[in-house]
Amino acid sequence: MFGFIVKYLNFLKRIPLFALIYDSCLKLLLFLTEPMKLTWFDEIENEVLNWEHTSISLHKFGGTQFNYRKTEIGHLHSNGILDILFTKKTKQRLLDEQKATSHHVFEKSGWISFYVRNEKDVENAIALLKLCYDLKLKAYSQNDIILARV
Amino acid sequence: MKIFENKIFLGFLIPNAILLSIIGINRFLNVGSAGVIVFSEFVILPMLIGIMSAWFWKDFKLSSKMLIWNSILNGFIAILLSFLFLGEGTICLIIVSPLIFAFVITGAFIGKVMFKKNNQTLNTSFISLLMLIFIADSLADHRYENMVSDEVIIKATPEKIWKNVVAFDKIKQPNTYWLFNIGMPSPMQTTVTAYKKGAGRKCIFSNGYVFDEQIVTFDKNKNLTFDIVNQPKDPEIMGHIDINRGQFLLQDNGNGTTTLIGNSWYKLHVFPTWYYDLWAESITRNVHLRVMDHIKVLSEK
Repeated sequence: MFGFIVKYLNFLKRIPLFALIYDSCLKLLLFLTEPMKLTWFDEIENEVLNWEHTSISLHKFGGTQFNYRKTEIGHLHSNGILDILFTKKTKQRLLDEQKATSHHVFEKSGWISFYVRNEKDVENAIALLKLCYDLKLKAYSQNDIILARV
Repeated sequence: MKIFENKIFLGFLIPNAILLSIIGINRFLNVGSAGVIVFSEFVILPMLIGIMSAWFWKDFKLSSKMLIWNSILNGFIAILLSFLFLGEGTICLIIVSPLIFAFVITGAFIGKVMFKKNNQTLNTSFISLLMLIFIADSLADHRYENMVSDEVIIKATPEKIWKNVVAFDKIKQPNTYWLFNIGMPSPMQTTVTAYKKGAGRKCIFSNGYVFDEQIVTFDKNKNLTFDIVNQPKDPEIMGHIDINRGQFLLQDNGNGTTTLIGNSWYKLHVFPTWYYDLWAESITRNVHLRVMDHIKVLSEK
């Protein structure tokens, strides 16, 4: 269903609030059919919010977006798809290690998708977000050093 | 009283009280045209309920499950208040409930993120924008008319079918449409004062409600068109939909069968039409089919 909407009804995302409302419907469906998943999503959110300088916001295409300072770490749609942007090199490594799959829409980009389907996936999802967070933290620190030298 | 200091309880009470007041004031001032329910009453206001509730609950760090559960409860309260104070009918509320639940939950999650960030300027701007959309939508002109057409093939000549089209005895077949089965009135019988143009026609529904009609075209064996001159004051339809005209066309297929076409024209007073017209079309279609299937049974005897 999600795949069908993303592939064929992609234009709907331009309607204000449509993506958020669609995501709420997914949440309601999970609440009625697989309520445990909502608990797992909360665990992921709470863990990320424990890291320094992180925050959450609503993703423009629906779901929870995790941020480090003002940049996005990744976002979790309410059907359990976690999308994270890495460099293409890191993405390839994750694909080779079978820790993630190519993004469900932008296959050729640095975006990866990870499907949270069971409790074990929560740890893996957090590990992927942490990897991205650490990379952003490192980049920010290096940037800080360069600025200090200037 | 301690209960009024309980913020969880206030998260249910205050948003619903505000919503009821806004709708009440809106109707009292008769903004727009009488009886019209604008899209923002079903979209913006439920979303505001969710956002306001999230503000009351922001210190409790509610889990997603709890937030959804509370939002469902909030939706039920809003629906119950609409039933008690706004005189909405049960079927109407069943139709509207998916929108209410979806938008209250959306509002609650928007509110959760808004109040986590605690950016007062952004929050005030967003709520002001929603209120502005609501006011603009209330003042805007709302018109929507549609026609639904259905056809059935009957193994009989137009001459044999015609008298069953103009008037027919009680429909005895059981209902198959789910809304009729849960209490929505379905067409039962049609009577006519004379078989000519200008005659009065009555379409009687299962709960005794009567649509008064007047025949405006009486082209024997071909075309029966009638205007609805008076429709029942039922909360399910009052102010929500006006059925303006009905029509039966008979086309002789030349092989002993006839195509019977049923057309209805209506004006919708509830918005957004992308949602309500789906229901209006479905209901009108099932009214058509119940009558036309009955005409088919009578004519093929």
